[in-house]
Formats: sequence, structure tokens, C-alpha cells
Amino acid sequence: MSRLLLPRRKVLQLMGAAGAGALAAPRAAFGQALTPATLQLSWLHSAQFGGSYIALDRGIWEAEGLDVTLLPGGPNAPVEPPVVAGTALMGISAADYAGPAIMEGAPFKIIAVAMQKNPFTICSLPANPVNTPADLVGKRIGMATTNTPILQAICTFNDVDFNAITIVPTQYDAAPLANGEVDCLLCWLTDLPIALTLRGIPNVTMLLADYGYSVHSQTYIVTDDSLANRRDEVIRLLRGEIAGWNAYREDTDAAAELTVAMFPDLGLDLEVQKLTASEQIKLMFSPLTDEFGFGWWTDETVAENVATLAAIGITVTPDIWDRSILEEIYA
Amino acid sequence: MTAITEGASGSRQRFPALPGWAITTAGIVAFLLLWEVVARTLLAGSYIIAAPSEIVARIDEGAALYGRALRTTLWAALLGFLIGNATAILLAGVASLAARAERLVQALALVVFCLPLVATGPILRVIFGPGIGPQVTLAALAVYYTTLIPLLVGFKAVPSSWPDLVASYGRGRFQTLIHVRARASIPYLVAGLQIAAPAAFLGAMVGEFTGAERGLGVLTIQAIRTLDVAGTWAIAVIATVTSIAGYVAIGWVGKRFSHGAPPVLLAAPPTPDRSAPGRRIVTGVLAVVLTTVVAIGLWWALLELFDLHPFFAKRPSDVWNYLFNLPASGANRERVLSALAETLSVTVPGYIAGLVIGFLAACLFELYPAAGRAATPIAIALRSIPIIATAPLIVLAFGRGAFGMLIIVGTLTFFPTLVAVAQGLRQTPGQVVDLFGVYRAGGVRTLVTARIPSALPAFFAAARMAVPAAVLAATVAEWLATGTGIGNLMALTASTSAYNLLWSCVVVLTLVSVAGYGLVALVERYVLHRFAPEQLR
Repeated sequence: MSRLLLPRRKVLQLMGAAGAGALAAPRAAFGQALTPATLQLSWLHSAQFGGSYIALDRGIWEAEGLDVTLLPGGPNAPVEPPVVAGTALMGISAADYAGPAIMEGAPFKIIAVAMQKNPFTICSLPANPVNTPADLVGKRIGMATTNTPILQAICTFNDVDFNAITIVPTQYDAAPLANGEVDCLLCWLTDLPIALTLRGIPNVTMLLADYGYSVHSQTYIVTDDSLANRRDEVIRLLRGEIAGWNAYREDTDAAAELTVAMFPDLGLDLEVQKLTASEQIKLMFSPLTDEFGFGWWTDETVAENVATLAAIGITVTPDIWDRSILEEIYA
Repeated sequence: MTAITEGASGSRQRFPALPGWAITTAGIVAFLLLWEVVARTLLAGSYIIAAPSEIVARIDEGAALYGRALRTTLWAALLGFLIGNATAILLAGVASLAARAERLVQALALVVFCLPLVATGPILRVIFGPGIGPQVTLAALAVYYTTLIPLLVGFKAVPSSWPDLVASYGRGRFQTLIHVRARASIPYLVAGLQIAAPAAFLGAMVGEFTGAERGLGVLTIQAIRTLDVAGTWAIAVIATVTSIAGYVAIGWVGKRFSHGAPPVLLAAPPTPDRSAPGRRIVTGVLAVVLTTVVAIGLWWALLELFDLHPFFAKRPSDVWNYLFNLPASGANRERVLSALAETLSVTVPGYIAGLVIGFLAACLFELYPAAGRAATPIAIALRSIPIIATAPLIVLAFGRGAFGMLIIVGTLTFFPTLVAVAQGLRQTPGQVVDLFGVYRAGGVRTLVTARIPSALPAFFAAARMAVPAAVLAATVAEWLATGTGIGNLMALTASTSAYNLLWSCVVVLTLVSVAGYGLVALVERYVLHRFAPEQLR
């Protein structure tokens, strides 16, 4: 029964939520007042966002004068609405999500790019591998039907007959490959292949970014209004992110351990998190970021993005990317 | 009167009395054994289902983690259960006091119940911010309707002389509600609350999909992502056992409160409707227009009140433009309607199958109570297991196509029907059953001529409620498992931000649910007029 009794903090949270979530109480200033800032993540907490946890854990944001809240995402939690609504100052989206949203009237910009290489991968088993796009011919591929344009684009870029591939609508799940229902999966490099590996199922991955699929992922989005009126906070928030991710790159195992320790209620597996982190930095850091810094992009990479997005039926213009914040930070 | 009722049920006992708990236990043990054997032989080495022994080991291993998650989810479910049911009771009271408002209340309640999770989840998250607000709201939304409808039926399950008696003392509708209708409705309320227990829990779990830091819903997502089959099933079992416990506890409390046998309802002389048919049509049309205007007004007002950005919170005019006022409107309509057709082609057969099987099962359990005792926990389990865990199993057994979908919709329709009809069958007045007993009428004859007519209102209430429930089940399954139909179209919004499309789908789905509901209500009126006119008041 005592489990049903609720702690006072929860009552207050609930009352706040039920009453008026909009009435954010001004923080009491102890010494130096911290400005509240919220970052909306694109998925549940995991090592995928380890850089942010480092920034939080090491007090990097506190030193920037920010009190940062990290909001987790989920299967029914698109990032764009809370950013547009102002619930979150900044959100982690992707060019193929943010682009259509902007075209639908969402007033925000992409201000930095965490994943230079897109994480979409074709994952298969060694006995019947997909090493190159040509290997897709005659295969049954398990994927979310939403992602059909991506497969089409890869076929077009690499002269593969799209009609020679059988799409099985498995949605996002590794089990159909493990059970032999399909020959390969369209998924992210950083989740399902790792799950398979740790279940003792060796697998082969083919990164789509290596075959012409140039779409920025894990991009930071901020509304035009915040860019104009909360610019300083945006800069400080992103500066903390950059510091966090550079530290993440130094020691991915430590980042994974921090993730597991910070979220004990998520049942995260340390080995899964370690592998996620070490795979992920391959996508986040490149000669480009070594030269210019984490999050950077060039007009050329944006042009590639615009072209790839056009191939999957998304029309965007280069001006949805805004580098002014990064330029101020790295100036 | 109590003694007579007990005698009646005693006379139906055909087998040497085995204690009820023994039969239930035997049923569960047989089921678990079968499960263990299938998981360890037929499905060994596959990532579909875990054996009961593996599940128990996993629960034991992760007891602390699961305990904390259960506490979080249960708390949200409990709050949602309380808020949702309190709202339902309040609405039912209002509808009973102001008879003219009943239709409007019912229609609006239906419209709100029809709103799909894909549309409401992100909006609730924006309104509430971090915390358990969305979980509680979705749990409340999942329960209020299935309590409201049986309650409205229960309020009418009184002999016509009782309200007349109250009226003859010069008391009004309020006193009638408190002294007569509220008491008569208790068994109906209990049945509604019982269905609400698993629904609240599932609502809270799915609410966590809108972005939560802890809870069983969150753990489910993690387990599925990491191919942790034992973990997925461990969580499903915890959710199921919790739901069943809620179901049983409410039933137990309900029994304590509902003393006295159900009253005999006698048919009142039919009151001829004096108004001309033309005028009745006008009234009907007016009611529809009024409901539409109020619903659209509320829609617009709520979005303005919470100041939700038009990028994701579309107004009625946006939907109208998208469907009718743009050059692309023709193509837009075609897109929505063809997806709708795909969804309905599996929803309708699944719905009908669920209703028929639920009705037959309730009758069977009435004739053979032993079978009922053994099967009821399994039936509740079927309703309580999160669809996200069972979907792979259903897909394996019945394929990824229409048949698997049909099974999912059927399962979710079946359970509320079974509970409602079983409760309705028990509502047969003891005197009527005794009369049949005196003439040595067999169990089947008693069932067909006495019990089923008394259960008809409960059955139709279940059939009406099941319309939006079936549509919701189908769209959720399409979203999570099959990637087809209008459920998938709505889920696309997460990546495409096509919120005009999403809201148009919501409107179309709501209209379809309301139309289906109206159709069932028409059939109900016809059947009740013919077979149970006493229940129409």
C-alpha cells in the first residue's frame, strides 16, 4: 500500500501539470541565477544522447548559466511540435524530418548537425549478406513502409531494380531477421544491429551514406523566434552540447557508463550502450568536423542533402540551414 | 428474495460441486503448461515468445527495476482511472437529469473517445510538458466511455413504477436519480469499472510513448528494441497480472455493494409517438446539426484556449480546406478514403466476429459456469496484454495480412462484449428464472427466452462501445504492426509533419465511428422494441 502513496514532489508536479503547465514559476535565484532551457531529444534516453548527459553531469551548462532539462522522446513523441510550441528551446530532429516540417509551415531552422553521416543501414546475416546495393536484388527486406522512398532512392543512385526487392512491412523490429522471415532490415546502424550482435547473432551492415544517401541526422533545430530573441541562450545551450560531444568522443565507454548510471529506471544494458556509443561517433565525426568543429556543415554537404531529399520526394531549399550560431561559437 | 435467487442458481448446478477456485486453477495450469511446451519445442530458438519459466526467471532477476516501473505506470493508471470514471459518472448524471442533453452528451463523449493516440499524444505532451500528465489523460480517455455507456443503460433498468412512485411524492428527477436509478445502475457501473481496469493500465502504458523517463511502457519499448523477448513478455505478464488484479478487486467490491436481486421490468404500454414522421426527421437532423456545431466549436475553442500553434494543431477550417478547398483536395480525399477503405475491410469483419463470439461465449459460460470460471482469466488476459507484445505472435500465427488484423480487432471487441453480456445475463430477475425452474424448463430454454432478452440492452451497449474501440484497435495495430491503412497514414505524420492529413484522418475516422454507432443504435431500437420493450424507457 505504501507504494501507492505519492511523494509530495509528485503531487506538486501533478498539480503543476494539471493546473497550468504554462505558468512556469520563475526560479529562485541562489547566488547566480540560472536560465532554464529545455532540449527535446528525439528518442528515449540512451547513449545516443550521451554528449548531453556529459554536459549536464560535468556542469558545463551550469557554467554557461543554464539550467537544462532534457526531455525524452518516444514512438509517439515527434520533436517538432514541442519546439514550435516553445516547450523546448532546441530540439534534435533530422534533415528528412525537419525539411518537410518547415515546408508545412514550422518556423524553425537547422542550426547544427550532430550526425554528419546518416545512420540508415541495411542489416543482413553473414550467410546471405547484403554488402553492396546490388546484393539487394531478390532479397526480402523488413522495414517500416514509411521508409520506402529511402530504399527507392538507394536503388536509383546505384542502378538497382527496385521491383526486384520484396518489401515486408515489419515496421521497426529486429525479430523478423532473427526469425528468418526476411533476409535484411532497413534500420539504424546504432540500434537493431547492436541488439542482434549482443544476442549472439553476427550480422553484416551496409551504411546507406556510403552509397549516396546524404542526409544529415540528429540535427539541432531552433525556431526563428528563438534565433532572434533568445539567441544568447541558444548559443550557450549549443556550446554545452559541443563540449559534451567532444568529451563523448574521447571516451565512449565512460559516456555509456554515465548514461546507464543516470537513468537506472530504463533497464539499459551497459554493453548495448557501449557499442551504440562507439558506433555512433563514426557517424558524428569526420575530417570536416576535425577541421571546423563538431556540428559544422558546408554549402557542399547541404547541396548533397537537398539533392538526396529531392530524390526521396522532399523539396527543401538550402536556407533551412542556418550556420550563424555555429559561426558565432567558433569565431 | 435473496433466498429465492440462491435457490434458482442452485438448481442449475448439474455437476458435483468442484470448488470454483479449483476449476480456475486447473484452467490456468493447463494453459501455462501448453504455453511452456509450445515455447520450448515448436518455437524454440525463435524470437517470438518466451516460455513461462523464462519469464518468471526474468521477473525475478529484474524485480527491483520492474517494481519501480510498475509503481510509476500504476500510479498514472490509477489517477486516470479515477478521473475518467468520475467524469463518466458526472456526465451520466447530467444526461439523466436533463433528458434532452443525453444525446448531446453521448455524442460528444463518443467523438472524444474516437480521437486516435497518434493525434492526441503529442498535443497532450505540449500541453502538459514533462511529467505524467499525458499518461494520466490517456488512461482517463481510455476508460470514461466504457463506464458512461453502461451507466446510462443502468439508469434505465428500473421498473416504470419506481420513478412514478417518486414522482407521486412530489419529488423530481434528482431524487429519482439518487434513490432509484443510481441503485439500479450499480451492477452496470461495476461491469464498466471492471472493463476500465485493464483499459486504464494500457492507456497509461501507451501514454509513456509520448516521451517518459520511466514506466512499463518505456521498458517495453527498450525490450523490443534490444530483441529482449523474455523481457518483453515479462513486462506483458506484469501488466496483465496487474490488470486482472484490478478487474477481480473491482468485481469483489461490486458484489459487496450490489445487494438485492435485480427487479422485474415489465413492459409499459407503448407510448405512441404522436409527432408526425416529418417532424421526427427534422428533430433528428437538428440533433445532428447541434452536435456537429458544438463539437466543432469545442475543437476550435480548446486549441485557442491552450494557444496551440497551427503548425501541428489544425483548426476546423484547415481540415475543410485540405479536403475541399485546395487544388490538391481531390487527391487528398482519395488518399484518406482509400486508406480508410483498407482499414474498414478488416475492422468490420473483426468487429462482427468479436461481437458474435463474445455473445456466444457469455451464453456458453452461463450454461456451463465451470467453463466460464476456467476461461475468464484467459479472456481478461487477452484484453490486458499490450498489443505491442502480442502483435508478433499474432503475425506469426495468422500472417502479416488482413487476417492477423482481423484477429487483433476481434480480440479487443470480444472481451468487453463477453463481460457486458455475462453481466446482462445475470441481471435476469430471480422470479422469472424461478418460474422457468418450476416448469422444469431446460437451461437452454431459460437462456433463450428469459436471460437473453434481459441481457439485450447490455449487449447492445457493448456493441455500441465496441465500434470506436474496434476502429482504435485497428489503427493502433496498423501503426505498430502492419504499416497499412489509415493507422499507418496517421503515423506517417511523425516523419512528414503532414498535420493537415493527420487531422483530416481523425475527422473522417470520427465520422465513421459515429455513423457505425448510429447504425448499431438503430438496430438496437428495432430489436429492443420487438423483444424487450420494457428496457426502452
